[in-house]
Amino acid sequence: MTEAPTQRHGLEHFLGDPLQGNATDSIVDIQLQPRLSHLNLRGNAGNPDFVKATEDVLDQKLPTVPNTMSANMHRVYWLGPDEWLILTDSQTLVEELQQSLSPLHGAVNDVSGGQIALRISGTHVRDVLAKGCTLDFHPRVFTSGLCAQSGLAKASVLIALTGDADTFDVVVRRSFADYLVRWLRQAADEYGVRIESA
Amino acid sequence: MLLIKCPWCGERAETEFSCGGEAGITRPANPDSLTDAEWADYLFMRKNPRGAHAELWNHSLGCRRWFGVERDTVTYRIAKTCKLSPGKTD
Repeated sequence: MTEAPTQRHGLEHFLGDPLQGNATDSIVDIQLQPRLSHLNLRGNAGNPDFVKATEDVLDQKLPTVPNTMSANMHRVYWLGPDEWLILTDSQTLVEELQQSLSPLHGAVNDVSGGQIALRISGTHVRDVLAKGCTLDFHPRVFTSGLCAQSGLAKASVLIALTGDADTFDVVVRRSFADYLVRWLRQAADEYGVRIESA
Repeated sequence: MLLIKCPWCGERAETEFSCGGEAGITRPANPDSLTDAEWADYLFMRKNPRGAHAELWNHSLGCRRWFGVERDTVTYRIAKTCKLSPGKTD
């Protein structure tokens, strides 16, 4: 009998935790998204050929305005004036981008092994994040479509608000993920917290 | 906590930044032709003014870019921040 190969993400020990606090409407949900591919894209945003070659493959806009993102088939985050992070379910995107960018000055690297995405939601999610981060999480300031790299409880993270006003995506280095989930679990404890995997 | 304006990301808390020291230090074109004293002067000697100081800062927890800061070493007031090479994106 053969056993199917299993993929581990190193955060299994958080799953199946008994619900912390009271199960109310105010509960904070932390969803681990360990299966996404993370691609780091570098190139000159001022070069129309580079932008076109990238957007043709992505089939969506490359965000060139600082602290913004675009979400459609893939999630594309602005990291710097010449750097982006792409989160995707596609296994072939990295080769497609590499092929499309090969005649141009640019680079795309698969960094999936180095970082993990968490999706945190709930009515108190802004309160939880504000406990460990200097960004302004007021709903008037941190609006949908924005992303920012900063420190969350001293771990360096990318925080983004994709659609819903109470659902944040946090991307963190795998080596900090255990610590950060522990911190989040404690920070959200007063509202109730549930940890699941996508 | 100081708010420092990154030329790309906008105003962020000072804990996101690291200071890289005095700005405007150019590596000598031909190090072999320098005396030890001149080379040491390039490597180690820095101004330590009381008042306005041009510095290099890095947005290390954010976009990780270097940029220029004009800061007063007495009051910590930041007069301005700027990109290092206008018109270029790196």
